Amino acid sequence: MTKVANIDMTRRGLLAGAGALGLASLIYSGKRAQAAGSILKVRSYGDIQTLDPAFRLAAPEGDITNVIFASLVVATPGDNWGWKPMAVEKIEQLDPLTVAFKLRDNIGFTDGFGQLTAEDVKFSIERIADPSNKSPYAGDWATLKEVEVKDKLSGIIHLKEGFAPLWTSTLPTPSSTILSKRAVTEAGGKLGVKPVAQSGPYLLKEWSPKQRTVLVRNPDWKYEQGSYDEIHILPIEDEKTAELGYEAGDLDYTWTSVSSIKRLKETPPANTAVVQKPSLAFVWLGMNQTAAPFDNPDLRRAIQYGVDRKAVVDAAYFGAADTSTGIIAPGLIGHREKNLFDYDPDKARELVDKAGASGVTVTLDILNKAERLSAAQVVQANLQDIGINVEIKQNDSGTFWTLGSKENPYSKKLQMVLSRFSMQPDPSWATEWYTRSQIGVWNWEQFSSEEFDKLVVAGKVELDPAKRDVMYKKMQDLMEESGCYVFLTHEVTGVMHRKSVAAALKPNGEPCFEDFKLA
Amino acid sequence: MLQYALKRLGLSVVIVSVAMAMLFAMIYVIPGDPASVALGPRATPEMVQALRSRMGLDQPIWVQFARFYFSALRGDLGIEILSGRPVLGVVFEQLPFTLALIAGAISWSVLLGIPLGCVAAIRRGGFVDRVIGVLSVAVIAVPSFVIAIYSLLIFAVALQWLPAIGAGEPGNLGSQLKHLILPSLAIGVGWVGYIARMVRASMLETLEASHIRTARAFGLPESRITYSYALRIAILPTITLLGVGVGTMVSSAVFAEIVFARPGIGKLVYEAISVRNYPVVTGAVLVTTVFFVVVNAFADIIIAALDPRVRSSFS
Repeated sequence: MTKVANIDMTRRGLLAGAGALGLASLIYSGKRAQAAGSILKVRSYGDIQTLDPAFRLAAPEGDITNVIFASLVVATPGDNWGWKPMAVEKIEQLDPLTVAFKLRDNIGFTDGFGQLTAEDVKFSIERIADPSNKSPYAGDWATLKEVEVKDKLSGIIHLKEGFAPLWTSTLPTPSSTILSKRAVTEAGGKLGVKPVAQSGPYLLKEWSPKQRTVLVRNPDWKYEQGSYDEIHILPIEDEKTAELGYEAGDLDYTWTSVSSIKRLKETPPANTAVVQKPSLAFVWLGMNQTAAPFDNPDLRRAIQYGVDRKAVVDAAYFGAADTSTGIIAPGLIGHREKNLFDYDPDKARELVDKAGASGVTVTLDILNKAERLSAAQVVQANLQDIGINVEIKQNDSGTFWTLGSKENPYSKKLQMVLSRFSMQPDPSWATEWYTRSQIGVWNWEQFSSEEFDKLVVAGKVELDPAKRDVMYKKMQDLMEESGCYVFLTHEVTGVMHRKSVAAALKPNGEPCFEDFKLA
Repeated sequence: MLQYALKRLGLSVVIVSVAMAMLFAMIYVIPGDPASVALGPRATPEMVQALRSRMGLDQPIWVQFARFYFSALRGDLGIEILSGRPVLGVVFEQLPFTLALIAGAISWSVLLGIPLGCVAAIRRGGFVDRVIGVLSVAVIAVPSFVIAIYSLLIFAVALQWLPAIGAGEPGNLGSQLKHLILPSLAIGVGWVGYIARMVRASMLETLEASHIRTARAFGLPESRITYSYALRIAILPTITLLGVGVGTMVSSAVFAEIVFARPGIGKLVYEAISVRNYPVVTGAVLVTTVFFVVVNAFADIIIAALDPRVRSSFS
């Protein structure tokens, strides 16, 4: 036994005391860290794989490149889709084929790459548009002719044809991000995950893979400054984990799972605002019109009548989402007010009998996500009711996204599929996947319409919103008339954040990190 | 002894080679095209084909395997298809997090399991023994993910004593240890039961041994007999159990890293499989396999060094 001065302490007691002190200090240090400075901790659903806007793989990368690199314009938060200047002092469409811009005079690149100039704008935009660079976003500049440099800060974007999505899903996205020509050239033509020549309101200070990305306020940014000294972005794939992390106080902002929206609205965590935003994404039940038995149009129509879309959507999204009327969400050009075919089980049974398909068994492929399974199970019950047996086949994402690929022999056998595509705020984003050239790529239903294909091309170059509206409504009519599609929902997005945070969200709930403020 | 060690290391090379072949075969029977998945929906068929070619997926399988095998021998595990970074670097970035998690889990299981096993053995047949027995079986029976979720709800969400997600501030040891407590507990608590049961059984056997009876006859204090003489022998099977258990803990790390949103090899492999990022899957699994095989080879060599019977049985 060891005695320390007059205190009756054993060695064991000393170790236990030290352990308790250590634990207490760990807990205290955590509380102290939370209280220090203006740090915003947000969840992102994925980690970054590249910082090159031309080769971004998912939205989380765009969220970061949007704040560390200056873009010509950026999307504005709010309930309506809009944009505001970022790197430009002035930008205007002179005519359908010409957009003039003048850059702000004092935006600089870090790492000694000098001032942001019109030459950098020309390089960045033409780099995305150039087919030889194989940017997946080349379509955003599909009608670009060239970017003309007038002087150090001014230039003109020349288009070969009018391009309707220019101001909705091209300019206010990372496709208008300006990179340093010299930095990219020195990096071998492509940026990786190492940030060089940053120029936005925040700078990427630290990237710990799969752990966090730390952005700090750019002291050289002369315009509207971000409210937070630092933004910590934590990649958390699982929504439920993110919710628990939020409730434990580890996050200030997160997307929630759709299934949690109702519970969180009724009993929100302390000091929390729960927001529900309409999503632009679209979910549908597709039928491959070249695979038996769906090569029979009567059976396809029977399915359209036989699926109780409201029941499907309520079951999958816990009553939080509405049914959709097509692939274009409310608020966008081309949104339809109603479907052509809706739930009518009697009519569905008649058509099943007419098709001679009573008792037939079909396979429904889905992604292995809880809401898809719930939706598929209701579809299964609905179709059972009209005499069609459905076998649900769950696939992991790696398998699912290649089911309809022409390289995959299964694409010819694929019968029914429950699918979801994400979307930008221009209707052209929704329709371009269903052309004949997309058969065996993303057109898994093998929907084939010459009229549709012509409208897809025309819809991109038509600049009159009223005419576009008619075109996109017609395109969805053609899709539905083919019998290949049962349009289900646009889903919803759930967001929760501390009341001390004024979250800046686009109309579909996506974050604009540079505009987050202290409430 | 040298001959034994060389044979054992030779066996390890064979095991790793077979594991590589099996790994390669398994990866390539999984449906799904990595190039399509990696490039996303906006990629044109030409872009997909170009990436397939760059990844060598257009080559015959035996060519792909030979490249994989001989590159791995040179320490080149390929390039990560999404970020273009070397796979070895990506794997070694994540490995320390998983090793820390496993070390934490082993600490929980040893620090709780051994004392509980000892107490149960000393109080054999009594109330305390029965309670420990029931608790041990209970923690063995309850799946680790259930413990993970409940510990997270109680200690992170309800009490807010501990963080729920992440691995802590980089460079801040205190923060990292704090973030390690719950996930390592989730993995290690089941092993507390295993070890308590094993130590109890082993202690009971040892406490009946003649050298312990002799120690008692000499009038040595019971605590000294238990902890200095009996436990030293009774603990040996536990070390063997933990050596084998490291493999199980690595697989348990997958769910812990997902539930607690921690970086680590498990999460890396899980995410890589879902996007068919084959180079990362093969690289991470290969590194883990080598680690496991090396740890076990060293354990065998150490045991052989201590026990001549093992050496003779091997020859």
